[in-house]
Amino acid sequence: MYRKATALGALIVSAILLSSCSGGSGGSGGDEGSGEGTVKLVAWPGPEGDAMSKVVDAYNADQGEKDGINVELTLLSRQDTFSKEAALMASKSSNIDIYFTASYNIGQFAPSLDPLTDIDTSAYFPVAAEGLTYEDQLYGLPLDVSNHFLLYRKDLIDALLNNPAAQAEYKRVSESVLGEERAPKDPSEWDLDDFKVAAAYFSKSENPNSPTEYGTILQAKNLLYNTMIWNDVLWGYGGNWVEDGQAALNSDAAKKAVQLYADIYENGWTSPDSSQAEFPETQAALQSGNTAFAIQWSAAFASLSDPAQSPDVAGKIAIAPVPGGKTHVHALAVSLNKYSENKVAAKKFLSFLATTDAMTQYAEGGGIPAMPEVLKARTAINPAFAAVSETISENGFSEPVFPQTFQAYSKIAEDLSGAWVGQTDVDQALETANANLQELLD
Amino acid sequence: MPNTVERNKSIATERRKRTTAATILSLPLILFAAVFVIYPLASGALTAFQSSTLFNQTTELNGIDNFVSLFRNDGFAKSAGFTLGFSAVVVAVEMLLGFGLALMMNRAFPGKKLFFTLLLLPIMVAPALLGVMFRLLLNGNIGALPALLQIFGLNVSLFAPDSIVPLLVVLDVLQWTPFTFLIIYAGLQSFPKELLEASSMDGAGYFRSLTLVIVPVLKPVLFAAFFLRAIDAIRTFDVIYVLTAGGPGTSTTTLSIFIYKTAFEAGDFGKAAAAALVVLVVLVPFVPFIVRRISSTGIEAKK
Repeated sequence: MYRKATALGALIVSAILLSSCSGGSGGSGGDEGSGEGTVKLVAWPGPEGDAMSKVVDAYNADQGEKDGINVELTLLSRQDTFSKEAALMASKSSNIDIYFTASYNIGQFAPSLDPLTDIDTSAYFPVAAEGLTYEDQLYGLPLDVSNHFLLYRKDLIDALLNNPAAQAEYKRVSESVLGEERAPKDPSEWDLDDFKVAAAYFSKSENPNSPTEYGTILQAKNLLYNTMIWNDVLWGYGGNWVEDGQAALNSDAAKKAVQLYADIYENGWTSPDSSQAEFPETQAALQSGNTAFAIQWSAAFASLSDPAQSPDVAGKIAIAPVPGGKTHVHALAVSLNKYSENKVAAKKFLSFLATTDAMTQYAEGGGIPAMPEVLKARTAINPAFAAVSETISENGFSEPVFPQTFQAYSKIAEDLSGAWVGQTDVDQALETANANLQELLD
Repeated sequence: MPNTVERNKSIATERRKRTTAATILSLPLILFAAVFVIYPLASGALTAFQSSTLFNQTTELNGIDNFVSLFRNDGFAKSAGFTLGFSAVVVAVEMLLGFGLALMMNRAFPGKKLFFTLLLLPIMVAPALLGVMFRLLLNGNIGALPALLQIFGLNVSLFAPDSIVPLLVVLDVLQWTPFTFLIIYAGLQSFPKELLEASSMDGAGYFRSLTLVIVPVLKPVLFAAFFLRAIDAIRTFDVIYVLTAGGPGTSTTTLSIFIYKTAFEAGDFGKAAAAALVVLVVLVPFVPFIVRRISSTGIEAKK
């Protein structure tokens, strides 16, 4: 009786386990599909997601009706979109047809994507399309091209440049910070030392007459996107990740780059909250008028110039190239899921996205498309467009593309974010970061 | 004698009927446990011995390599240390505060219902949402709390490395004290009043009746609250990940964040599964100890 019950129970349990073992979830290579129906697309919230939803709505109302295709856009989270997609790809899911990808993880995602072979990509910046090419195949269509700028309060700089008393104070601060007297200059001419002096000058802790509480805000949260910002400083000092195939994060340039952050943080020329700051905190710092300038993502400029969103500083913020003359460039992109069951329809929508019309709509929605023609024609929408085009060709650099590029950004942030805010020793942190990078390269 | 044989047969039939009924009625639970508990556990434990990564989800076994690499650098040990320290502090504070609040609420006073509802509000908020809320609320430039403090002339920086851990403790206490409060309060409602009357007749003051009567009788309830909170605290992920992502560096990385990052940022599923298995194996021995305390009734302890 009791034994029968146990036997019955065991039989049921094993049946369940066996049935769930055989055949995984998801397809074995996807399906071309009927060329019509629903196409599911993923993006992340923020300027890019907003712009994409406008393009998708316009498509569904017009071209989509003609094609018989309805595009469904899902917005995930800024921090975790790629992890969620990695999980979906790991389970060979066919839930999403078009993934949101980027040039910094295309190498990693390529095994789960289909190359985009028959789409005309001539309208894009060559460097953007190249950044999405892995092993000679194009795996993504560029959406936003992203780089960094120095965003600064033009009104405060003008006041400084026109006031001899303020200039004298600036020189005094420069002497104290750098050991040499430097005169204030226009931010488009700054090098990284000028950046440091200006951060000190505009901080109340160094200069009680400063118009702002803090000179700058460092994006020092343990986040892979903050590694991209710090890379500007690293490259600005002449360093980079790899030298002759070997990890080079323990170079003098790297030490200077980490030390710059640590000095600014420890001297109070940035808010102590910077240890948890990234894009939104930097925006808040500039919008509130408490900070004079910051190295920030290009996507930030639109909302800082909009009186509805930034009533205190709209019209007062200007753009300059990142001090040190180097800016990280990457492209966000859309890619085709290898396991999608509606590939023909998805490709139709992707071909639509590759046109200047679609990307003009994207620009009007708040994005920064990777098409020189669109940027030049639409400077009225976003005055940053002209600067973006120029800076990408003159100052742009990209980190080495290898399958573990994405992991490398995260690991560097984890290894160095303590040193950026003076919590761990600079040399020790760089040695650890270097060793970990070497492991990822191998 | 024939009577006894017949009686034995009918007893056996009854028992068989009851066992069959019991099995059929518990089938849903067995199914549920098999699918949602046993299968993932077995699958995860197996992954711990495979060299499965994001790029290559092979089922190839690699012995104990994952475990060796887990202990090769101090990331895992550091996160374990932080998690245990954090959990110890928050659980202690929440138990004390929860108990205090339960005792305080264990009487009628005007506005009790309103106060009760307000007290329970924090646990209704999803932990990740609480993290996002406070990220905005405590922002030095646009947050309401720093603005309020500035009126009193206090310029605080709540996210600085020195104040981030106390902040995380405060947020956890804020969210989960209502939980311990609720469990202990429920326990107090079924507390036999005669014991207190008896002890006060014997001349016991408030404090003595608290420590010598209330606490021992409430032991199962207190252990239940402690156990539930401790398990949850050791698994803490949401609020900390949203606010600090485990940083600066790895100073606020908990075990869950370590496992998550190993799996989804470093892409090493085998190592992450190994870490999860180690945590399970370390915690499992405590379970029988606690369960025994919960399932005993406090009155027995008094004897």
